[in-house]
Amino acid sequence: MAELTYIEAINSALREELARDRGVYVIGEDVALGGPFGATKGLAAEFGERRVVNTPISEGAIMGLATGAAAMGLRPVIEVMFVDFITLAMDQLVNHAAKLHYMSGGQLGIPLTVRVQQGAAGNGGAQHSQSLEAWFIHVPGLKVVMPSNPADAKGLLTAAIRDDSPVICIEHRALYWTRGEVPDGEHTIPIGRAALRRPGKDVTLVATSRMVEVALEVAGTLANEGIEVEVIDPRSLLPLDLDTITASLRKTGRLVIAHEAVEGAGFGAELLAQVQEAAFDYLDAPIARVGAPFAPVPASPVLEQAFVPGAERLAGAVRKVVLGA
Amino acid sequence: MTSELNQQEAMELLRTMLLIRRFEEGLIQTQKSGISIGHFHVYIGQECTGAAAIALLEPQDKIATTHRNHGHLLARGADPRRLYAEILGKAAGYNKGKGGTLHATVAGLGFLSTSALVGGAVPLAVGAGFAAKQLGERCVSVGFFGDGVLEEGVFFESLNMASLWKLPVVFMCENNSAGALGQSAGEYPGSTIATKQLIDVVAPFGVPASAVDGGDPRAVRDVTQQALARARNGGGPTFIEARTVRWPGSRPLWPELSTGETDVAFAWEPDRIPMAHRDWFANDGLIRYVRQLFDAKLANTKEILALDATVRADLAKAMRFAIEAPYPDPASALDDVFA
Amino acid sequence: MLRLLRTMWTIRAFEEKVSELFGRREVHGLLHLSIGQEAVAAGACAALRTTDRVVSGHRPHGHAIAKGVDIASLFAELAGRETGCCRGKGGSMHLAAPTTGFVTATGIVGGNVALALGVAFACKEREKQEVAAVFFGDGAGQSGAFHESLNIAALWKLPLLFICENNGYAEFTPLSAHTPISQLARHAETYGIPSATVDGNDVLAVRTAISDAAARARAGGGPSFIECMTYRLRGHYEGDPAKYRELSELSDWKTKDPIRRFAATLVKKGTCTHEQMRAVEAEARASVEAAAQKASTGAWPSVDEVTTLVYAG
Repeated sequence: MAELTYIEAINSALREELARDRGVYVIGEDVALGGPFGATKGLAAEFGERRVVNTPISEGAIMGLATGAAAMGLRPVIEVMFVDFITLAMDQLVNHAAKLHYMSGGQLGIPLTVRVQQGAAGNGGAQHSQSLEAWFIHVPGLKVVMPSNPADAKGLLTAAIRDDSPVICIEHRALYWTRGEVPDGEHTIPIGRAALRRPGKDVTLVATSRMVEVALEVAGTLANEGIEVEVIDPRSLLPLDLDTITASLRKTGRLVIAHEAVEGAGFGAELLAQVQEAAFDYLDAPIARVGAPFAPVPASPVLEQAFVPGAERLAGAVRKVVLGA
Repeated sequence: MTSELNQQEAMELLRTMLLIRRFEEGLIQTQKSGISIGHFHVYIGQECTGAAAIALLEPQDKIATTHRNHGHLLARGADPRRLYAEILGKAAGYNKGKGGTLHATVAGLGFLSTSALVGGAVPLAVGAGFAAKQLGERCVSVGFFGDGVLEEGVFFESLNMASLWKLPVVFMCENNSAGALGQSAGEYPGSTIATKQLIDVVAPFGVPASAVDGGDPRAVRDVTQQALARARNGGGPTFIEARTVRWPGSRPLWPELSTGETDVAFAWEPDRIPMAHRDWFANDGLIRYVRQLFDAKLANTKEILALDATVRADLAKAMRFAIEAPYPDPASALDDVFA
Repeated sequence: MLRLLRTMWTIRAFEEKVSELFGRREVHGLLHLSIGQEAVAAGACAALRTTDRVVSGHRPHGHAIAKGVDIASLFAELAGRETGCCRGKGGSMHLAAPTTGFVTATGIVGGNVALALGVAFACKEREKQEVAAVFFGDGAGQSGAFHESLNIAALWKLPLLFICENNGYAEFTPLSAHTPISQLARHAETYGIPSATVDGNDVLAVRTAISDAAARARAGGGPSFIECMTYRLRGHYEGDPAKYRELSELSDWKTKDPIRRFAATLVKKGTCTHEQMRAVEAEARASVEAAAQKASTGAWPSVDEVTTLVYAG
């Protein structure tokens, strides 16, 4: 075990996969220079600019390039600098990468990995702070993972690169410099398996990405109040490990869902629907969702803080579900 | 330049350029002092382009700009107090703290939008040109954008429509990668385009294009004047590439005053310029312009220093105003989602 | 020579049959026929190797046939059968048969160009002297993806042939109403990409231009742009009455029909006789009939297939 930052863990996954498989390419804006956050630092020097490829600022063409190359059997890993910029590449991602395998009757595989970061942190304002994972889980053919710590960042990215379908690895910018233990050497986490972050018997709290940190903080606080919170990190939103969540509900009977994206039509809404279809009988209380309010992300530090769901709001929601109104 | 501007206009242009330079230097220092601003992009070294071009616009004209917008807003007359307040996320900011540096905009001054997406401002500028033409208004739309935009498909889609429909649009490409100081050191990228020069990409569309020294107010003024006249006379769009050399302190996310504060006296005492930065200041439009004024005897050192002192004093007050201004009510985060 | 003629007749016969079957509701979907443009597909693919890769757009039948995709599997695909090249999941605009080098078609104007960029990138990386070719229409020339792709292909010297079938209309609108540029090859020049504008109804001219471009790409010379000036004799899609065109324009182009023109040239040169010409057409029509017949007996896919093959592996 080594202690790495989240961004170092990503770097290490990329380095190992580049070394392991000649078909892996890292492609994107400024990646040969290390990228704006250092995820690809040192890779160009080690593997050459033929495999760590700087591109023009052409998100649409980059996504198309990676999709076409993947259809030919390469394993491109592209970096889209902010999830906000993936809007420029949605045609290639949604119409091509996600569908070519299906439309070709299974003839074409698209082993494509899209690395992208998101989240409200650092007052970037509405075009540099969104959380858009719900868009992607609505597209059959894509897989969507959201690592919440350095070990998962490495394990999920490695699994994504080895997957034969397009996988979007959504990182959280605010987690980049957080540290954690990461297994040495090859480390993969199967896509579609949730992680139990803290056991508890009173309520299940499903949290994604940076909200896992917040959920654990809340669980600690509420333990002092006599509420035992079970925290589950789905890690992969598509495919979703519903079994782990329903197994927990069987024990707790109560569910709170937390994500940083706006609440409306978000992952929480989808999970809520799936849970009530699969585990309605286990539920002892209405399910609660905690997400950002339905607004673009504001720039002011004060407004941004009000926008991002925090521990206090989450604790309130959990108390309400457990104790009733 | 000086033949076309009277002394008052010449000094007003200097004031605008100084205002932009000092505004951003102040911002960098404020961030260094520990006040949270988030990542921002500076216009240092490019002031001449925005100041000279925007001075020619009429009140009804529209502007679309980018993540590097402070200079454009100030040149158009934005109040530095409210702009600082916006960047610091205060309620008194132009956008009530919701835009911040990347999306600061002042509709009352003809700013359509400030898009932080590379290429995002360009179709918006074309849309404003379309509206002006439809409404029969004598209005020109000017889109300011960086050289990286020429790598985005949306630029070509926009240029094609502007040309096809002869829209009153000026495409003002601010190429701050010229000579790309620091690019070789891997500090920031230059444009990645296969053409020999940027203006080549425009040629097939039949849009008149010219490349000028973005640090030469006369050159910027000449081409902008022609472009505006063409647009107002129904002649359609023009593409201008204003070339400047990137300021070494303009790192991608966190600008640093690596060259120190600009000393206007560099213009008449070049020996005072730190050795390491002589190349850059030799190209700096602001210092070159001060020297021109000085050489043409339009202003003496005392007048220039006095103007600079006034600008700095005003900006210090503006920054104090912004720092002391209250933050917005957190509940206001939900206001203005819909019109 | 006869091979080129046979390919063109096969495409023509295939699409006429498709049109007939569409009228009888035996094939389905949004169909875009390339009748009148066969020389581009036939000439271009004749200049390519089996191992070269082709990416096509929403008007792909001719390209797939010329690249050697089994026509029975194409009919079956259009008819929605399990025996279709994509098991009935693709349909007309999304044909794929990668083993023949026909990587895929796509229904997004301009989207195919960016996709082909990646195919060319992979060809270059595989170092087997393969080249990629992408077919697109003049409408794609106004899309951002097209311009981004030209730049990247030029920057990286990718072995990619941009084959523009300029048929003068983007959907229902003449090109002149879409862009001030009449020849899209002009955009290639911007990036220093060698270009040629050829008579797209002259199959030999197309073949020569593509041959030169492919040789350049194989030798590491990077992309080329070949603009083929042509005309579609049918509407934008099957069922489009095409009232936006002058009848005189249509009849003028009918006299330039690429198949009859090439046949006439061959006879004139004494390469073959009228009888041989007619035999080629008859054989093509017979093979198309047989393929259509075979396709019509193909099984329907099981409804369970709706949710299969969403993910690979």
